[in-house]
Amino acid sequence: MNMFHSMNVTSSALTAQRLRMDVISSNMANVDTTRGEYKKDEVVNGKLVKAHWEPYRRKTVELAPKDASFNSLLNTAMGNGGTIGDGVKVSRIKEDTTTPFKKVYDPSNPDADKDGFVNMPNVDPLREMVDLISATRSYEANVTVFNSSKAMMMKSLEIGR
Amino acid sequence: MRLFSNTVGTIEQALDYSALKQKVISQNIANVDTPNYKAKDVSFKKFLEEANSSQVEAYRTDPKHFSFTSSSESPAVISQANVRYNENGNSVDVDKEMSDLASNQIYFDALTSQLNNQFSILQAVIKGGK
Repeated sequence: MNMFHSMNVTSSALTAQRLRMDVISSNMANVDTTRGEYKKDEVVNGKLVKAHWEPYRRKTVELAPKDASFNSLLNTAMGNGGTIGDGVKVSRIKEDTTTPFKKVYDPSNPDADKDGFVNMPNVDPLREMVDLISATRSYEANVTVFNSSKAMMMKSLEIGR
Repeated sequence: MRLFSNTVGTIEQALDYSALKQKVISQNIANVDTPNYKAKDVSFKKFLEEANSSQVEAYRTDPKHFSFTSSSESPAVISQANVRYNENGNSVDVDKEMSDLASNQIYFDALTSQLNNQFSILQAVIKGGK
């Protein structure tokens, strides 16, 4: 049996939760960024769309369980406990294309259209804060698990003292 | 005469169970935000059966044939596929996992001190009570 397996599992989760926090802080930092991406001239549905700036798009992290490695599957086949898995991984960072951009009336803005409206990023600070708290709590839970595993390991070193 | 009684072996199995349980708990809490993840659990009964299972003897016509073991058909780690706890299909109950974590740690500590007791008794016997 691999002794440090549970610690590796927990550390993968700590990495994933920290990345979630990084992405959330990037979203919050770009809450007013009107020039996130530069779109070139392109033809959409037979109509020419002129080159223009698009506002920053909200990004989210997609998590997936890291499935059991060959090693642990082999252990299952040998009868040393079942498959447990190797923690969690970030499968990709997704751009939120379903939430529409916010339209704000601001004729003095250099990115305003001919009617005076500006497209603002689809970042909702409230939603980001909720996600941030969720990520923080998950991180804390994983730290607790790590400390518990560590305490158990230290205790097992004392066997036979 | 056997120096180590059955107690040491039994405690060893229980420690193995506790270590496996710890791995499963850490996997569950690591995937607390993963969509469609189903929580895993360790069945103590199955684990004990696996550990104690008397191996089924295969009928071997040649000494080079492998013998098969009966343990691989009943895995100790189980997962229920039709349970939902969150709206995203995840079935990890954090409160349950955290309380399992605490009780598992206490269980492990109890086992190690039991094992240490056993060894100190043996030592007292070996030294003739000195």
